[in-house]
Amino acid sequence: MQLRTFLARDMKEALSNVRADMGPNAVIIASEKSKSGGVMVRAALDEADIEPEAAPPEPVETSSVADFETHYRDGLMRRLRNAPSEAPARARFDRTELMAALHRHRTPDSLAHALAEDANKAQLTDMTLALACAIDKRMRPGPIDLTTASALLLVGPNGAGKTAVAAKLAAHARLNDRRITLVAADSAGAGAVARLETFAKHLDAGMAIAETAPDLQKLVIDCVSKKTLVVIDTAGFDPRDGKARSAFAALSQIAHVETLGVVSALNDAEEAAEIGAALKTLGARRLIVTGLDLARRAGALLAAATQDLPLAHVTRSPFVASGLESPTSLSIARLLLDENRSTQ
Amino acid sequence: MNPRITAIGSGKGGTGKTLIAVSLAHALSHQNERVLLCDADLGLSNAGVHLGIKEGGDLAGLIAGRTAMKNAVVTVACGPHHSFDLLAAPPGAGTFANAGEAAAMTLIAAIEGVRNYDRVLIDLGAGVDAAVMSFAARADETLLVLTPDPASLTDAYAFTKLMLRKTGARAPQVLVNMALNGTEGRRIADTLLAASQSFLRAVPDYVGYIPYDARVPDAVRRQSPLLSAYPQTPASLAIDALARKLHSVINMPASAIGLR
Repeated sequence: MQLRTFLARDMKEALSNVRADMGPNAVIIASEKSKSGGVMVRAALDEADIEPEAAPPEPVETSSVADFETHYRDGLMRRLRNAPSEAPARARFDRTELMAALHRHRTPDSLAHALAEDANKAQLTDMTLALACAIDKRMRPGPIDLTTASALLLVGPNGAGKTAVAAKLAAHARLNDRRITLVAADSAGAGAVARLETFAKHLDAGMAIAETAPDLQKLVIDCVSKKTLVVIDTAGFDPRDGKARSAFAALSQIAHVETLGVVSALNDAEEAAEIGAALKTLGARRLIVTGLDLARRAGALLAAATQDLPLAHVTRSPFVASGLESPTSLSIARLLLDENRSTQ
Repeated sequence: MNPRITAIGSGKGGTGKTLIAVSLAHALSHQNERVLLCDADLGLSNAGVHLGIKEGGDLAGLIAGRTAMKNAVVTVACGPHHSFDLLAAPPGAGTFANAGEAAAMTLIAAIEGVRNYDRVLIDLGAGVDAAVMSFAARADETLLVLTPDPASLTDAYAFTKLMLRKTGARAPQVLVNMALNGTEGRRIADTLLAASQSFLRAVPDYVGYIPYDARVPDAVRRQSPLLSAYPQTPASLAIDALARKLHSVINMPASAIGLR
């Protein structure tokens, strides 16, 4: 990139100087008034097109006896000398192998094909980086900033781990010196209330039960005015079911409340994608995927992460102390291609 | 579990990259993260010089396959209850001046394989050669250090361009060092953002700035870690805030909140 700084009496003169010196494709990247009353303009110029790193040509396969002998002898010599190999074997991009890995993780067919297509288009030699590039086009990480969050409403199917997520969010917020109130919304089951109470005690957090949407609204307004973070746990339900949904719509409409969808990585991948989409319709703005420690196949995580909803966090264990992670496209690609975790 | 890999690079030398890396390792260990600081400036290792320690670990042995990771690191105490591990070549050894990409890939594989750290911070060497960009592409997040010097802008742009080439999609995150104030920090970042958007069709994220602070060169001269020497100076506070931001997106070790 060429970079030039121009000083001129006014913007018009500066722009014409930029054009004269650098041509019509130069771009103004900064401008400010100089102390003497004129202007200072910084302009840059570069070729607009960016070519991905081309794959080096494949070595030509030959099968003559002489080649085989040379190859064999070299390999043997290397082993005898115990010389470190030139570089550790990095998986090279191979569309068939990528499809196999995606299938092993039970990725939905359409998603697997689309990812393989994009990974192929990226023209990167490294398999992990190519897959990360394809995932990156479909995934938005959106970690929750617990220093500024005001009220978080957790919704999702039964057993997705909403209560544990509530405790983890509270624990993280406490580390950021926030005051916290844990709320069991009307529909939370009796067992969940008891668990929340236990968590609240350990985390030095307040605990409340909100019977109705107006109750919750009052509570939220009160807490927000005191800068207390509200984490609201709800009963599990199927977000794809219209009737159950209408009960939750009222909660997610409350001012200051951000709705977070909670989905388990143990779902079938298609189910996870459907649940994610349904939660979005319900007003969820981000997703949290739970149970990564239990899931041997990452298809559900991948399907949930590549919905339109930003992926806020994933959790790996039900213990509160092991908290919330924000995966990147690269870390998900590593998970999918890591042979140690393969399912065979 | 894989560690979170955070790389710190700049393209240009002298942007304060190593000081930031060392100080971040310090600040993150105070967030109860188990941190490995890897000085991947394979030619000229100097994290140890900043820390005022003699031994930086056995990076050469690790890359050659002679030494296991746990024996190749040295533990650096920062304060009475916290420490981080350092993996570096002996200062001034020049061992890997021309080691190139193969050595980098060996080191990356070793780093990706560790399980006893929450985070690996990689202090990238200056320049934008294949080894540096391999590390940058393999990191979960890459902080690109920019200063008010226009030359750092062109080098940071080159870094961004090559990283996009290497990853196909992911751009680095911009951290401005030695800015006079927040307005200047933002303005400097915006020039890189504008150039990247125009020519590369990618917009790097701006993560923040570290103010110019006369205490920084003083701490460096004394070879004492900035956060120990001047914990309350503006640059230290900015690095601490950055560490909290980075920390907020990773898993928390059990010890952090004292309950299971």
